[in-house]
Amino acid sequence: MTRLRRLATLALCTLLTATAGTACADHGDGGGDPSAPVRLLVFGAPEELAAYRTLADAYTRAHPDRTVQLVEAGDRKDLLARLSTSIAGGEPPELFLMNYRFYGQFAVKDAIEPLDDRITASDKIDPADYYPVAMNAFRWRGRQLCLPQNVSSLAVYYNRTLFEKYGVALPQPGWTWNDLLTTATAMTRDAAGGVIRGTESEGAAQRPAVHGVGIEPSIIRLAPFVWSNGGEIVDDPARPTRLTLDGPAAREALKNLVDLRLAYGVVPTDEEVESEDDESRFANGRLAMLLSSRRSTTTFRSITGFEWDVAPLPVYRQPAGILHSDAYCMTRGGRNKQAAWNFLEYAISADGQRIIAATGRTVPSHMAVANSPAFLGPAQPPRSAKVFLDAIPTVRALPTVSTWPEIEDVTSGILENALYRGDRLDDVIRQLDEQTRPLFARAEHPR
Amino acid sequence: MTRDRGRRQLAMMLAPYLLGLTVLVLAPFAVTVVLAFTEYDLIRPPRWIGTDNFTALAEDPIFRTALVNSLLFAAVAVPLRLTIALSLALLLHRRSRFAGTARTAAVLPSAVPEIAYGLLWLWLLNPLYGPISQVLRAGGQNGLTVFGRTPPQWLTDPVDARAAIILMSLFTIGETFVILLAVRRSLPPDVYELAALEDATGWDVLRRITWPLMRPVLVLLLIRDAILSLQFSFLPALVVTDGGPPPYATTYIPLFSYRTAFEYLRYGYAAAATAVMLALTVAAVALQWRLLRRHEALRDR
Amino acid sequence: MSGIGLELAGVSAAYRGTTVLHEVDLTVTRGELLVVLGPSGAGKSTLLRVVAGLQPAITGRVRIGDRDVTTLRPGRRNVSMVFQSYALFPHLTVRDNITFGLEVRDTPRAVARDRAAAAAAVVGCAHLLDRRPGQLSGGERQRVALARAMVREPDLFLLDEPLSNLDQELRTETRGELKALHLRLGVTTVHVTHDQTEALVLADRIAVMRAGRLEQVGTPDQIWRTPATLFVARFVGSPPMNVLPADGPLRPAGMPVLPAGARIGFRPEAVRVGQDGTDVTVERVDVVGEDAYAYLRLAGGDRIAVRLPAAGRPAVGTTVRCTVAWADTHVFDEAGHRTVLG
Repeated sequence: MTRLRRLATLALCTLLTATAGTACADHGDGGGDPSAPVRLLVFGAPEELAAYRTLADAYTRAHPDRTVQLVEAGDRKDLLARLSTSIAGGEPPELFLMNYRFYGQFAVKDAIEPLDDRITASDKIDPADYYPVAMNAFRWRGRQLCLPQNVSSLAVYYNRTLFEKYGVALPQPGWTWNDLLTTATAMTRDAAGGVIRGTESEGAAQRPAVHGVGIEPSIIRLAPFVWSNGGEIVDDPARPTRLTLDGPAAREALKNLVDLRLAYGVVPTDEEVESEDDESRFANGRLAMLLSSRRSTTTFRSITGFEWDVAPLPVYRQPAGILHSDAYCMTRGGRNKQAAWNFLEYAISADGQRIIAATGRTVPSHMAVANSPAFLGPAQPPRSAKVFLDAIPTVRALPTVSTWPEIEDVTSGILENALYRGDRLDDVIRQLDEQTRPLFARAEHPR
Repeated sequence: MTRDRGRRQLAMMLAPYLLGLTVLVLAPFAVTVVLAFTEYDLIRPPRWIGTDNFTALAEDPIFRTALVNSLLFAAVAVPLRLTIALSLALLLHRRSRFAGTARTAAVLPSAVPEIAYGLLWLWLLNPLYGPISQVLRAGGQNGLTVFGRTPPQWLTDPVDARAAIILMSLFTIGETFVILLAVRRSLPPDVYELAALEDATGWDVLRRITWPLMRPVLVLLLIRDAILSLQFSFLPALVVTDGGPPPYATTYIPLFSYRTAFEYLRYGYAAAATAVMLALTVAAVALQWRLLRRHEALRDR
Repeated sequence: MSGIGLELAGVSAAYRGTTVLHEVDLTVTRGELLVVLGPSGAGKSTLLRVVAGLQPAITGRVRIGDRDVTTLRPGRRNVSMVFQSYALFPHLTVRDNITFGLEVRDTPRAVARDRAAAAAAVVGCAHLLDRRPGQLSGGERQRVALARAMVREPDLFLLDEPLSNLDQELRTETRGELKALHLRLGVTTVHVTHDQTEALVLADRIAVMRAGRLEQVGTPDQIWRTPATLFVARFVGSPPMNVLPADGPLRPAGMPVLPAGARIGFRPEAVRVGQDGTDVTVERVDVVGEDAYAYLRLAGGDRIAVRLPAAGRPAVGTTVRCTVAWADTHVFDEAGHRTVLG
């Protein structure tokens, strides 16, 4: 039986190799022609893509004999699909930009080229210049696989004009969850401008014209509050085997999250979110506050109707943030590794980081650049950009296991139902645990 | 001599089609079936794991949901589609100024690229701003319909989302409609004139003449639609509902396979799901074929 | 109760803008078998369809028996029709085909089956009741179509070229059966055909049609002996009547002076070949069994056909002499109408 199996696998491998090129083999050298175009696979909203284009153009201007070609994917799922199929096809892009939550599946499959040697040999990059929490998020089995571009936490965007209009106190650093709730309740208004209880508008009576706060029911939005309350979301952050949202701290954070809809009605209903997503709602001035990462800044910079700013996350017991970080990774199968490394160096170096920080897309991972006017400068909103920097010491990373994308998809479905349909909390916690256990069991870990 | 040459010519003419069939259909089919017994992520070499994928599928609640969804969709959408296509064909088969335009209108949704069609419905079904919701709420107060009930929550309620996908499939009956139209028009007109002379009512004509004469084609179209229904639910489910409101209300088997393969990089597992879908299709066709044969035999006796 | 089986008064019909029937007046007595004879395109089938109600009459009225059916839909006219293609239901057995009309009218099953069996027996297809039309020959299908038409006992039978699809031998045989059937059932029948032999054999009266108009209506004898127009004269009879200018080389003895533009006609049977008469050249001779048909050329270039016994026929290329009796000659004026000279 084993021989048959081997034979079949060999036959399959041969067949797939014949059609898929060099999927089964390893790419040896990192040579190649330095002046050949380097392909960078990215995704994002149009404004984000414009930021990357700016960086690529700047690189080409600085080095006229080199070209960077952006390969733009529609969304993250599209990027994942393109990446895996191009790797299998033997023609992957030299570089890709990916969030630490999703790179694990590629790290585990040995598709990413470790960068330690190149970093040591480089005179442009010093690992000490970068925020450690971001660098560590991209270490896999003792090696630095990718170099981070940004370090962001979750922040509270708020509509300053609207706050002033209704005379409600602005969010302050150190504010608590109860403060958030009070503020959101005060900011949920009907068309006439009077305060309205959002729960009464479920399918009848009046809908709020303005909602107090918008938050996506997902595990990455829940986690910082669990941590802030002193709880944990997994049993062992290094080698997680299950979710631990049944702990009292986690349970309390979850209950408060779903109560935003079920008890207080300050977040839009699922129908309203389906009709108009939270970012769009905020940009149209109908959402007073929105919990989001730095990514929203590029979109919001095109807002002209009102002033907006950011505030830190509300606190339970101690301040806690959640890491959002994207990094440049080099594919093992890419042809032009030297040229790719040249661009990577540039992008990660202070120069590159300054350019892209100017577009507003990133909170630079380079500490010096982050603390410079390139990022903090008040020329463009948010004026309180320092909020992002202040959060960095409190930021924690999510577990980077290889099946994390599946875990996120499964949990977001359950949390959606919890928020909008009002499922019993104990059932929700139990479902979250039961449905993710097999996923953790199947996962591979970075250590 | 000429017979050999004739055969050779036939072979040469068939060759391009057979080549395409082998390369584009049979070979991938074979690879899929073999992949179903492996664990493969497109980056590392495939690893043989026997029937583990299938055991995992049986225990996977998401796949079970997808399976039920697909079967339900086929059971509801296919008869509805055929009924609509048949009704339209019978209404519009006569020549008239109006018929030409109406026929074009009936076929048009099928001619629209699937993605565009899906995106159009994404707008139509928008719960607050889409035209369908606006029409349903017209005349009602506080966002309710005229009858005082909440309108269907197309994209957020599981049952309504499934209904939405079925609704979307009711308009793409263009191919079936064209075939049924051609069949109806090919029926001998003198038989209908005779029926008129015998004072047969419209219902008599439908029941005794049109239906029996069109039945063989209808059965074939039923089989075809049943096969296709497993597939054409994919794009609407992806584009409009993205797998549906939880829990996976509009995740069908093709969408499940797509996700598992391209988002989670588990190609072996996805191939196993596809293999199950293929087996279902074969079973459905075999069953219908057998029923058809039995019915014909009974009739001819 | 009048003796009228069918009456058309001033009936016109059109098809896609062209008039195909021009104010036709026609009366058929009850129980009569009228054959409508004419070339294709004459409007015979249209006439039938207008009577059946399958096509509307633009002007005029249609009466069946005592009833004015002009505005009635086909199903209400109590008319049965046998189509040229027989229009059998391919998916039903012969029995079900025959009982179709009865079942549609909610006749009890047993009654319908009995009547079907009886009708099938009359036309001679009782042994085929359980077969399907696809398994029958042309002649058998025709019988089934007849049985189906009969079983309802209608006021009027309409037969649209029922024998056209049969081969020669079957045609002759079926012709006789149709006549016998008509005598037996006594239902008013309108039978459309382009075959003049069929018309002459079957009809009580013949209505000759051309281009949407009736040329002549009369008994077969009248049609044969006194054709009202040149068209009728030449249409009925094979080979057709010979028609020559009145002032041509061949003149019957005793023919008076005729007006200018007049023409004379005589049938091939009326020509005598012998020692006297006009000189003609034999161009062609067709022999059919005991008969020979010789095609002769006259001095002026006109040609005539002559029927002779096969034995003793002249050879091709020879010159012979022929005469025609005045009694056998028909006279037509310039417009083609029959002229009777006092």
